[in-house]
Amino acid sequence: MRLSGIAWRGLLARPLRTSLAVIGVALGVAIVAATMITGASADAALRGATTDLLGSADVRLRAFSDAGFTPRTVQALRAVPEVITAAPVSERRLVVHTAPGDDERVFTLQVIGVDADVEYRIRQPRLVEGVALSPDSPTDALVPATWAARQGLRLGDELRLDGRGEGVPPLRIIGLMADTGFAALDRGEVMVVSRSTLDESFTVPAPIRYLDLDLGQEPDEIAAGLEIVRGQLEEPFIVETAADASERLASAQASFGAVAFLFGLVAMVVGAFLVGNTLAMSVGERTREFGLLRAAGTTSRQVIGLVLRQGAAIGVAGSVLGILGGIALAGAMVGFLSSTRAALVAGLPLPIGGMLLAFVLGLGVTLAGAVVPALRSARLSPVAALRPSRRSGTGLGDRLRTLLVVELLVVGAGILLFPIDRAGTPLLPLVLSLALLLGGAVITAYLLEPLGRVIGRPFEWFFGAQGLLGRANLSRDRVRTGLTVGAMMIALAAVVALGTVAESARAGAERWVASILPGGNAIRSSVPLDVESFRPTFEGTDGLQVASAVLEVPAVYVTDDSQEEVSLAGIDPNVFQDAGSLIVSGADRADAYFALRNREAVLVPEAFADRHGVGVGDTITLGQPGATSANFGVAGIVDYTIPGRTPDGALIINAADARDLFGVTAASLWVMIPQADIAPSVFASAVRDTANQLAAQPLTARDLAGDLAGSLDRLVGLFDVLALIAVVIGALGIVNTLGIGISERVREIAILRSHGMTVGQVQAMVVAEAAIMGAIAGVLAIVTGLLVAFALVGGGASADLAAGVRLPWGLLVAVILVGTGVAALAGLYPARVAASLPIVRHLKQFE
Amino acid sequence: MTVILEARDLVKRYPVADGEVEALRGVSLQVNAGEFVAIMGTSGSGKSTMLHLLGGLDSPTSGEVVIDGIVISSLDEERRTLTRRDKTGFVFQFFNLIPLLSVAENVALPFLIAGDSTNRHTERVGDLLAMVGLADKADHRPDQLSAGEQQRVALARALATKPAILLADEPTGNLDYTTGAEILDLLWDSADRLGQTVVLVTHDARAAAYADRVLVVRDGQVRDEIALGRRRDHQAGPLIARLAELGL
Ligand SMILES: Nc1ncnc2c1ncn2[C@@H]1O[C@H](COP(=O)(O)OP(=O)(O)O)[C@@H](O)[C@H]1O
Ligand SMILES: [Mg+2]
Repeated sequence: MRLSGIAWRGLLARPLRTSLAVIGVALGVAIVAATMITGASADAALRGATTDLLGSADVRLRAFSDAGFTPRTVQALRAVPEVITAAPVSERRLVVHTAPGDDERVFTLQVIGVDADVEYRIRQPRLVEGVALSPDSPTDALVPATWAARQGLRLGDELRLDGRGEGVPPLRIIGLMADTGFAALDRGEVMVVSRSTLDESFTVPAPIRYLDLDLGQEPDEIAAGLEIVRGQLEEPFIVETAADASERLASAQASFGAVAFLFGLVAMVVGAFLVGNTLAMSVGERTREFGLLRAAGTTSRQVIGLVLRQGAAIGVAGSVLGILGGIALAGAMVGFLSSTRAALVAGLPLPIGGMLLAFVLGLGVTLAGAVVPALRSARLSPVAALRPSRRSGTGLGDRLRTLLVVELLVVGAGILLFPIDRAGTPLLPLVLSLALLLGGAVITAYLLEPLGRVIGRPFEWFFGAQGLLGRANLSRDRVRTGLTVGAMMIALAAVVALGTVAESARAGAERWVASILPGGNAIRSSVPLDVESFRPTFEGTDGLQVASAVLEVPAVYVTDDSQEEVSLAGIDPNVFQDAGSLIVSGADRADAYFALRNREAVLVPEAFADRHGVGVGDTITLGQPGATSANFGVAGIVDYTIPGRTPDGALIINAADARDLFGVTAASLWVMIPQADIAPSVFASAVRDTANQLAAQPLTARDLAGDLAGSLDRLVGLFDVLALIAVVIGALGIVNTLGIGISERVREIAILRSHGMTVGQVQAMVVAEAAIMGAIAGVLAIVTGLLVAFALVGGGASADLAAGVRLPWGLLVAVILVGTGVAALAGLYPARVAASLPIVRHLKQFE
Repeated sequence: MTVILEARDLVKRYPVADGEVEALRGVSLQVNAGEFVAIMGTSGSGKSTMLHLLGGLDSPTSGEVVIDGIVISSLDEERRTLTRRDKTGFVFQFFNLIPLLSVAENVALPFLIAGDSTNRHTERVGDLLAMVGLADKADHRPDQLSAGEQQRVALARALATKPAILLADEPTGNLDYTTGAEILDLLWDSADRLGQTVVLVTHDARAAAYADRVLVVRDGQVRDEIALGRRRDHQAGPLIARLAELGL
């Protein structure tokens, strides 16, 4: 054996404590590794989905107008020799029923129509089960396998399209698609049928939205082909690239990676606190031993080496375990994400770079945690160590500062190494959040005693003398206890921050929906309905005050040197103004509506205004390709707007302008305003009836907000799991700290026992100490977590919806209770150990 | 005769809450190679402080300590440690052994510290354990030994590197008379048979009586020096008589 053997023995001699530290690191590394793997899986899914969506098409043409490409255009293109294949894709949002009966279910799906005979020359069907569409079987339908599983549907099940004529046989599921290609669209709520079947489902054929063209192999061949195609097409169109297509798919995943990574770092920092504490404890415990080693001529460098070796061993073991655990965790996360479609994922790729980063971070953070105890062990004077009484000289701030600087360096390096930019998340709020969390942990150490006195009150009342003793024990080693409580605090703060951001986003979603949906009810039809001829049908709705059509206009924003596609929505200003809808900034709301009523005015979404540097009072030109354009005065900027075909959402104009300037007379979105005295549920059901008559989809503000919040909740649920893992690490730290505290005060406990303290009382004392630690952590976690939430929401790193913070009160209370409860549970094992200490032996020791 | 250990006017003050404690107030002494010297005094008289300074565990407020020609008191921490590793061996009153290591490994500790592997020193460790009568307990853990056995292991370890000076601080303070006598016998043997220089700190005249020479410490100063010469019988009588004569 060599001297280093002492390091290993030191770890093995305390198997429980060492395992706790290893598990602490492993859990942190596991989260980082799982994040990396899940991120890689999401990237792969995005790439795969885009590739599968475009298939072997060289270009995808998107029809500019809502009417789509005409069948004549498709025929004409197919006649062009340069066009090898032209595959049309039609789309319509439709209500779909399962077989009638008691358990009949109704969904709204994006139904995609393809020409089965040419389709598979462009896109290879990726089926999990079943067969592809065949040209001569009009009842065939494909649905995504994950969606079907979620709805409990299987191969062979029947589906009926609303509006499809009587006596027509129902559709049958003949194939289940993998989550790629078409199945990656609309969160997997899609169905693929033959185009003729989709056309028959309505009096008007479904618009052909896309034309996917195979033009050859060589780039110049393709370019030449595209030129010829341009000459052939009468209707305006837009050439979509793979990047455009993947952007459409990617919107949901945007901030996923960065936020998950933040949680990985949080868990890892908590784990590192655990390691730092473990090593500090074993150094403290073995002061005498180190003293002996130093007396016998061990240099301080050798002692540092011993402690660092222990740190490295814990780091390597924890990181290796963590990476294995991370793969398992990633498996679970990918399974969860794909089954709920909260994000698009594909398989379990093992990104070597990412795993290496997780390993290096794990080892680095652990070594960083070991540096402080190592330095402290080296500074131990052999004489002080050999004196019967010992009390280390360095102050609280001194020890914490070093630990923090080291941790910050490692975490900072981790953030710099992580390709955050890819996730499109600003770096600053993340760094600020981490700084807040770490800073909070330090402040915890300082506030431990005063807070303990206040928060300990109820425990003293409940546990009596044991509560008092438990509370007093907190100040025995303030650094040790402070770090333990701080680590727990960080984990709980992550839960608070997450819950607050989610709640704020929920509030944002509600505000958004309320501001764009006056009266809270609307009907969306799958084809535009002529305003004048359908108005009576809408006005037949019971309890209706007014039905107002929103005229949607595909348009372009024209500047001197370029054109950009935009969506316009023509509204009735009186209806929207009376209902208090649209949050206008940059101008007085009444002025904005006044301008709108006076025609040729526009309200632009904030993102559009920012991107183009457009402000209130400016004039912009909007038009349709090949048609006249008109000038509009910008009358206001809106915080939230009606969704459009472009990511910005629609620019709002007067419906009269949409009709007179752009010739739009049909609408597929109708806002339904109820009479003042009608019950919301009654009106909602009347709206549903009208929608059914028109084979259209009823929309309510609550459903819309719920949809948005639902997909958010699934992601938040996942992050909550990660944060709870950090809470578990924090609890391990409490087990650890209490354990060492007990081994240090064996003699003291023996004296208490000899003075008549019962086994139960000893246990209560330890559990009370643990519970107070948890309660302090919970209280401080709320403060820190809210600050982090402000940083995230304010810095724009959170879900795009959140505007301003809304507090999740229930969660805040729950965090204190969970913190206290988990900590008390963590105290049970040390409590048993303390209670079973032999009295006599410990009374004799060190006489 | 060569002087192997020398202290020159050692002063040691400890800072305390309300000022300073002067534990040593100008101590000078010389120890010859192969000599067995006892430092005797009541509790709190400064014996341990003195031993710590002599062994280079701590540095004096003023004054000098010279071990085997090296002025250890003026070395920096690192070189003082290395000198200590080479030149000294320590035995303390209790808690001498590393609980994680076996008896044999505890004895081999100085080699481990020096960066060696235990394998290269099995023979030496075996000899040492045989010398202290614990050859059969080489693989035991310290907590499986009696207090006396633990001190014998500590002694074997202190002798392992054949240090220039062996420093023992109340090595029998925790033991009953008979067990303590065994340790003292071993100390005396190492001085007599191996020519080991020994400095023994004790408050007990019966222990001090094993020494060739006794330095009497009081209030941080060496008050008297009693030469006993090397005697096989270790009788405490003459020493106690001399102390009585000096009014101690
Ligand atoms: N680290 C210290 N700080 C303050 N006073 C000390 C310290 N170490 C020793 N002393 C004091 O110095 C004096 C001598 O102590 P010590 O050398 O341990 O005596 P002995 O070993 O003879 O009992 C005592 O009064 C003791 O209280
Ligand atoms: Mg002493």
